[in-house]
Amino acid sequence: MTTEKKDDRLYGYAGKILRINLTDSTTEIIDSRKYLPEWIGGRALAHKIFWEEVGPGVGAFDPENKLIFADGPAGGTAIPTGGRAVMCGVAANNLPEQYASSSIGGWVGTVMKYAGYDALIIEGKAPRHTYLLIDDDKVSFLNADAIWGMLISDAQEAIFLAHGRDTFSMVIGPAGEHMVRDATITTSNDHTLSKAGFGAVFGSKNLKGIAFHGTGDITPYDIDKVLELRLKIGDYQHIPNPVTHQTRMKSVAYDVPAPNGWDYGKLACSPGCNSRCQRLMMNMTDAFTGEKVSQIEKCTSPAAFTLKNDFYMPVGTWVTSPMNGRSVGAQRSWAKPYDKNDPDYEIVSQMWGGDTVNYWNADFDRGAMLNQLCKEYGIDKWDFIIWNMTWISMCKQEGLLTDLDFGMEPDPESPEFIRHFIKIITYRTGPEVTLIDGSKRPIGDVFAEHMARAIRMLGKEKYGDSIYHGRYSNILKKPLDIPVSLEGGWGQCSHWHGRGFSGSQKWFWCANMMLDMVNTRDAMASGHTHVSTDEYKKILAEGPCYSQTLANAVLRTENTAILTDSVPCCEWQSNEPFYPEENAEQLYAATGEKYTPEELLKKADRARLLFRAILMRNYGRCRDQEVEEIYPFLTFPDPGGDYATWEEWNDWVDLYYKTVGWDLATGWPFRSTWEAAGLKEIADEMEKLGKLPPEGGTPGYVRKENPFNGHIRKVPQEYHF
Amino acid sequence: MAKHIEKAPLEYSMCTGCVSCEMVCSMVHEGYVSPQTKRLFFKAGPVKTMLHEIYTCQQCDDHPCYEACPKKDEAMCIDENGIVYVNEKNCIGCGKCAKACKFTPSRIHVVKSKDKEERKAKKCDLCRTRPEGPACVQWCPFMCLAVSDRLPWEERQETDQS
Repeated sequence: MTTEKKDDRLYGYAGKILRINLTDSTTEIIDSRKYLPEWIGGRALAHKIFWEEVGPGVGAFDPENKLIFADGPAGGTAIPTGGRAVMCGVAANNLPEQYASSSIGGWVGTVMKYAGYDALIIEGKAPRHTYLLIDDDKVSFLNADAIWGMLISDAQEAIFLAHGRDTFSMVIGPAGEHMVRDATITTSNDHTLSKAGFGAVFGSKNLKGIAFHGTGDITPYDIDKVLELRLKIGDYQHIPNPVTHQTRMKSVAYDVPAPNGWDYGKLACSPGCNSRCQRLMMNMTDAFTGEKVSQIEKCTSPAAFTLKNDFYMPVGTWVTSPMNGRSVGAQRSWAKPYDKNDPDYEIVSQMWGGDTVNYWNADFDRGAMLNQLCKEYGIDKWDFIIWNMTWISMCKQEGLLTDLDFGMEPDPESPEFIRHFIKIITYRTGPEVTLIDGSKRPIGDVFAEHMARAIRMLGKEKYGDSIYHGRYSNILKKPLDIPVSLEGGWGQCSHWHGRGFSGSQKWFWCANMMLDMVNTRDAMASGHTHVSTDEYKKILAEGPCYSQTLANAVLRTENTAILTDSVPCCEWQSNEPFYPEENAEQLYAATGEKYTPEELLKKADRARLLFRAILMRNYGRCRDQEVEEIYPFLTFPDPGGDYATWEEWNDWVDLYYKTVGWDLATGWPFRSTWEAAGLKEIADEMEKLGKLPPEGGTPGYVRKENPFNGHIRKVPQEYHF
Repeated sequence: MAKHIEKAPLEYSMCTGCVSCEMVCSMVHEGYVSPQTKRLFFKAGPVKTMLHEIYTCQQCDDHPCYEACPKKDEAMCIDENGIVYVNEKNCIGCGKCAKACKFTPSRIHVVKSKDKEERKAKKCDLCRTRPEGPACVQWCPFMCLAVSDRLPWEERQETDQS
């Protein structure tokens, strides 16, 4: 890093971190310089705070769990995509519970900075239903009885009404209040902290929401650079954004007629962004009142309308050529068409995947209702649609639901059943069912524990590992096996795992499942793997599980995802092989700290290793644990009939561990790895804990034999509910 | 009314809620970003519709803000193009201009200066000294804002009709 700043002011940052103790309604101000700019902000900052403050043995719902809500230096500076923020803490929806992160758009991160804070540390448990009002220097612990029980939109409007329309909030719905493990925290423009179930953690802390009002200022270091980036980042278009009337819901993977039509608008997710990735579906029918409302829909919501075929995408979604520029599908709707004469055309235009999965047929109104029920109760759409509902469909078709009393006939195509199912989960009600240990619980209460736990309570062999026979490969022209539960690992729903929901090529799902393996939750939300067309060719030549090029790309994806969540910016627009300077330029414009892309990746590397340290110290993370967690789903074929053998996957793990400097036997970094990242103190700590492998590797290491004995259902699953 | 900033109708371009207009407004005028120092006002729409509003100074012909200013022509001024603007150096922060504004909410902010020692009125001046014109118009990514003497949505209508 070269330091040539005009002064030592903390440009781009608000300057304070606010600790909020809900138990005794007290606050403490921490000078941001304790951590910033050293730990950038967002996810990297949260890792550092969590490492220092939360040790082993703390569960998601323990008052000792701390939620760190952090923005980064780009927030509030008008740097495009810089308005996002991150929450970290012990998550509720992974299995077992572990530290995780989740990112969010909306106005809250930026307004928190206007109020004077780079981050919040939320700890303890409020003695009564509470919401926080953070109004510049004044923090109020307000009685939330009047809004407790309200749906998301009603609670948001109530807060607007009480505190003005320039007070922006994030709240939980009834699902969070009942500690449903995949409950969301949702902003007033319908952006959510979904993927870690932090809504349930809010509920456990008696915290309905946080409202922010800020009148302070954020000073970017270089305004000219900010304005330059506004033209450079995110497909700057400067074109009108008209509302258009639609009669279908259509993409490459689905085509759903909308009998009454709908109006299509596009919104930005966060302050200062110059893109419009959010589909605003207008003039939709409210699932509760029947009035006309708008719904925000992103990548997974279309699955609510139909899931007859899986969600395949053009290879250009994750393979980037200079021709196709921003690679993510959501951007493509208005990007220039591919040039058919370009030498990369054949690669990026490939369509791959596309199994017929027969989960449910098209029904526009039913899909709209499903999406809105998820939003208003505050349940993660991804998990409910892609996991709960596909499970209902597959189990029903396989005749597995006859012993379970849902209170009405389970049917994924019945609006009445969907409404009933999500409601009994939200309120933990419904008829009692007998669990595999002989105890009884209301069926909604069981599914409120999230799918991975629910399936284990009911009996994993039958309800998790039974084979669904309704999947048909359009590549091989024959049926292919898939389990009735689309579980990817760590209790998370499959996401770009190449089978069951999102067909993709082997190299791509190998990369994504490696990212998930070393994480604690679905890593795809801020870490889709991106490679260039040149890298793509090398990966295919080297073979997915033996490709150093792919291992390097996975590491780059991990580190750029950390930067994305730390600067912060948007995954849909970052991690671009052809614009590696993007994060460094954003950081410079905001803070004046000048890094090369390589120097910045080293900073991300340090945060990534600190995350590894948290997992090792707090949860005993090691090779056997993570390999055996992720491997089972890989035994099922992708749309081309390919899968990973035990040997192949372990060879791939070996290659990745070598690439990142970890011991093959344990998955623990060597002292040299910690110290190269500037983490000598962590190496010392690991040595004390007996988790520092000898340089060169554990002597006499012999790879473990396949414990799955040929099939996943032979493995006992021992988790405490 | 003299020329002023207008927001586009939905059929032409929908406000995405990015508030770039507010942020850039504050940044080009003050050198930092703050909701206090913006000269136009984003109002989040109802949670269930998300149709947002942008409120702008209309540069009224009868300019009640100018008339109400006790330091007329020193603090609240009118330039040779009829643009009503605040010369902050002479503004005493009395707030009479904001109260005189005929719109709700008032299109003039009266806020504490950054050093918190004095109050100043903040009002849209159409970025009258910027060669590129109003920053909010320039930096709205989706052309939701325009200066009233040249509204692309009206130009398009005329083209359509012809």
